[in-house]
Amino acid sequence: MESRAVEQGGAPPPAGRGARRPEDYRTPLWVDWCPGCGNFGILTALTQAFAELGLEPRRTVVVSGIGCSGKTPHYIYANGVHTLHGRAIPFATGIKLANPGLTVLVVGGDGDLLGIGAGHFVALGRRNLDITVIMHNNQVYGLTKGQASPTLPYGVKTKALPKPNIQDMVNPIALALASGYTFVARGYALDVKGLKELIKQAIRHRGAAFIDVLQPCVTYNDVYTVQFYRRALYRLEDDPDWDPLVRSPEEAPEKMARAVAKSMEWGERIPYGVFYVDPTKPSFEERLEKRLPGYLDQPPALQRVEQAGKPTVTREHLRRIFGEKIVQVNPARRGRR
Amino acid sequence: MVLSEAYLVIGGPQGSGLETSAQVLTVAFASRGYGVVANREYHSNIMGRHSYVVFTVNSRRLVGHLSAPFHVAAFMDAESVFTHFEEVSKGSIFVYDRDVEATPLEKVVSMEPARRARVERRLRELGVEPTVGGVVEHLRSRGVRVAGLSFRGILERLQSRYQVPRGRLRRFTSAIVAGAVAGALGLDAAALEEGFRYRFRRREHLVEPNVYTAMLAAEEVRGQAGSIDLEPGSLELGEALVVTGNEAVAIGKVIAGVRFQSYYPITPAQDESFYLEEHELLDAGGERLGSVVVLQTEDELAAIAAAIGAALTGARAATATSGPGYDLMVEGLSWAGISEVPVVVTLYQRGGPSTGMPTRGSQEDLLASLFAGHGEFPRIVLSSGDHEEALRDAVTAANLAEKYQLPVIHLLDKFLANTVKMIELPDPAGMRVERGVWEEEPGPDYRRFRLDAPTHPISPRAPLGGAVMWYTGVEHDEYGHVSEDPEMRMKMMEKRMEKLSLADREIPERGERAVLYPGGEKPSSIEMLILGWGSVKPVVLEAVERLRREGVAAAYLHLRYFQPFPARYVYALVKGVKEHGGKVVAVEHSYRAQASMVVEMNTGLIVPYKVVKYTGRPIYLHELLEALREIHAGKTGRVVLRFGE
Repeated sequence: MESRAVEQGGAPPPAGRGARRPEDYRTPLWVDWCPGCGNFGILTALTQAFAELGLEPRRTVVVSGIGCSGKTPHYIYANGVHTLHGRAIPFATGIKLANPGLTVLVVGGDGDLLGIGAGHFVALGRRNLDITVIMHNNQVYGLTKGQASPTLPYGVKTKALPKPNIQDMVNPIALALASGYTFVARGYALDVKGLKELIKQAIRHRGAAFIDVLQPCVTYNDVYTVQFYRRALYRLEDDPDWDPLVRSPEEAPEKMARAVAKSMEWGERIPYGVFYVDPTKPSFEERLEKRLPGYLDQPPALQRVEQAGKPTVTREHLRRIFGEKIVQVNPARRGRR
Repeated sequence: MVLSEAYLVIGGPQGSGLETSAQVLTVAFASRGYGVVANREYHSNIMGRHSYVVFTVNSRRLVGHLSAPFHVAAFMDAESVFTHFEEVSKGSIFVYDRDVEATPLEKVVSMEPARRARVERRLRELGVEPTVGGVVEHLRSRGVRVAGLSFRGILERLQSRYQVPRGRLRRFTSAIVAGAVAGALGLDAAALEEGFRYRFRRREHLVEPNVYTAMLAAEEVRGQAGSIDLEPGSLELGEALVVTGNEAVAIGKVIAGVRFQSYYPITPAQDESFYLEEHELLDAGGERLGSVVVLQTEDELAAIAAAIGAALTGARAATATSGPGYDLMVEGLSWAGISEVPVVVTLYQRGGPSTGMPTRGSQEDLLASLFAGHGEFPRIVLSSGDHEEALRDAVTAANLAEKYQLPVIHLLDKFLANTVKMIELPDPAGMRVERGVWEEEPGPDYRRFRLDAPTHPISPRAPLGGAVMWYTGVEHDEYGHVSEDPEMRMKMMEKRMEKLSLADREIPERGERAVLYPGGEKPSSIEMLILGWGSVKPVVLEAVERLRREGVAAAYLHLRYFQPFPARYVYALVKGVKEHGGKVVAVEHSYRAQASMVVEMNTGLIVPYKVVKYTGRPIYLHELLEALREIHAGKTGRVVLRFGE
């Protein structure tokens, strides 16, 4: 199998026996991001995290939107679903709900997740569905040549912009917290090891997880550069008193308030690391299992609905399920009054 | 004269229990062996605006058409009286609330200005005093059998008998209306009791006082106006389903094995998802058949995306929507097209454009269902003409989606969605569930979009979770990786489009994609060929039967699939009819008669005659017959129908 010719656009060699290595999660495709792009760091962190978690490629799905980050799934040897601009989250939602046994990740740009897809971003938080969202945050729309994205602050003029940005930035961390994500973190694309650890934590977390990954765009963003981030970034975990973990539901409001306050720091000093983790809130799958006992064992993808070409539902089943709509027709019984 | 078929109307303000009256009556008639259908007309409003329900009851067979003038009209309020007084005729029974006799037209604040002006003008023309009493006197003078009930008086008697709290008395208005109709048509208390039991399934204590109230009204009506002699119902069905179109589709989806449905609330589609959710446990009396995940999404963009995502895992997935929601789904449709995803979009048409007439029916979205979406990709578009078809087609749609790996649009409309109809209990044993071509044991080299499969142009599927594969909305290679190579583009485009040709070869044209009534009719013997689709079916079939009794050799070609269109069959038939001097008439709920345009596009033959309606109200038998007779007589080529308030 190893000898199979790799065609242009083809699949990679299958994973070897035993422990998986990060390279087992790479397809042989040529990666067409700009040299020096922050996306490379994210890709590496992803495959390292997958390897360390030993994820089964068949059982893992990476869902993306449109733009430079949208190409990520093609470079990863696991299921990849490269969707529509803004819609990675709802596609992932359908996948995860229909087969909750799968590990589902969303990778998307800032424009994708917080611009055209902002409604879906909020909705995922409300559901706390067990999906990991990794946002490639470079503050610009790269593939369309550098327009301002929703995370670029007001008044900033990157080199591609004819005028300074006239719109305010959205605070991704605060938005994720307000929306209900139960794992909220910020990573940095060039700190691959740190990012890998965040991704591992996010995947292991049971519920909606969000990582805002600061990612310098070497081509269009000459403001938020590697040099800038080197000066500004500091680790939350360096503060021995920083404790983002909610241990009981009563702790949540205070921990969240602290995380929101922390998320307001943007400029000279930018914190990164884990802002908030609440494992106490039930995930959407758990909520569904409560409503539909047996759902986790027999989710939509695994139910048998056909037997020898016939429906598994019989007329007798219809009588029992929809009995309230059945009327006994009795023309003979008249004038009983 | 003894009637075998009766037409009824009941009316009242939205939120006043009219739907309860309708449900009770429908079930009462059904339980007595009558075929019954009830169409609800209402505003986009929760409380206060005028709504009404129109019924057809037939003592010998199942029915789907509506007609007027009404044999019985029973109204809760003054607005209904002013709105519908000209829809009854001599001998009809007209029931109203005597307590509002003095109410003048100008005091009916909920009436729209346009209608008020029309009613005012009409009353002036007739020389009728613009009060409820004036209208009633006018009707009486025209031979209408009028029954004025004191609703307040009846409710007082209910109060003294059952000690119903005063604040709740008005809730029994629905029983007065149901009872009035029962009285007018000789329906007994036991039948009404069946109806109330159906309505108040888990609130049994409400049944008795409701039946009591209804019977007070029934006796009062009989005393004042007598009753109409309707033949006893004689349908020997044993058991029947009494369902709305929404519910019929939901039941079809359960049979089909649809186990994931995503939706965003929109009239008139939402009740389908609601009903599915109500039965999500698929609890067959202890035996669990799995469950249906029904997800209310944040918008329709997400609804179709989630359904597609679920379909990728191998689940049978669908979404249900209406015009404005469909517009948002179009990007997803295009993605499903290029990525060859089996997903069903159940599309309930309503009046457009834009928000249009959200609670009124239309067939304006046929062209949108066929053409909306950028780029070229295959899709199947099928439509259902009645509840029975809608239920069966929900299964067919899911089968076709998986067989040909493409989006399927199942077209329905508001008329069908909200109409309650009595149908036979379907037997799933006579239906098929076809899941298409699957890769049994996908290896590490699995190619989702394989070009050399024996089943070409269908590539064997594998679910996410069963292999490693890629999907993309970008043009792609066999693995699903991005490719802009011109030759790959051609191969993929051809593969996708050939699926439509395959479907065109495999799905029978005659009998499935288009159905001719009466079945064996030769083109040469058809004087008038009516082309129609969707919910015009029952009324056109009825019209055809009546025309044939009048000696006009009419036939109805019921178009069911618009893609792949049954072009050869329709061509042969239309051409044959025209060559022998027959007339080809389209009957549709759109300004342009959109199906006739699709016929013309696919066959190159012109459909010269058109009967259209775009008021958002259903087509009634009496107006359709009149239109068809005019066309037959050569008086006109296009008739615009307008009956119904």
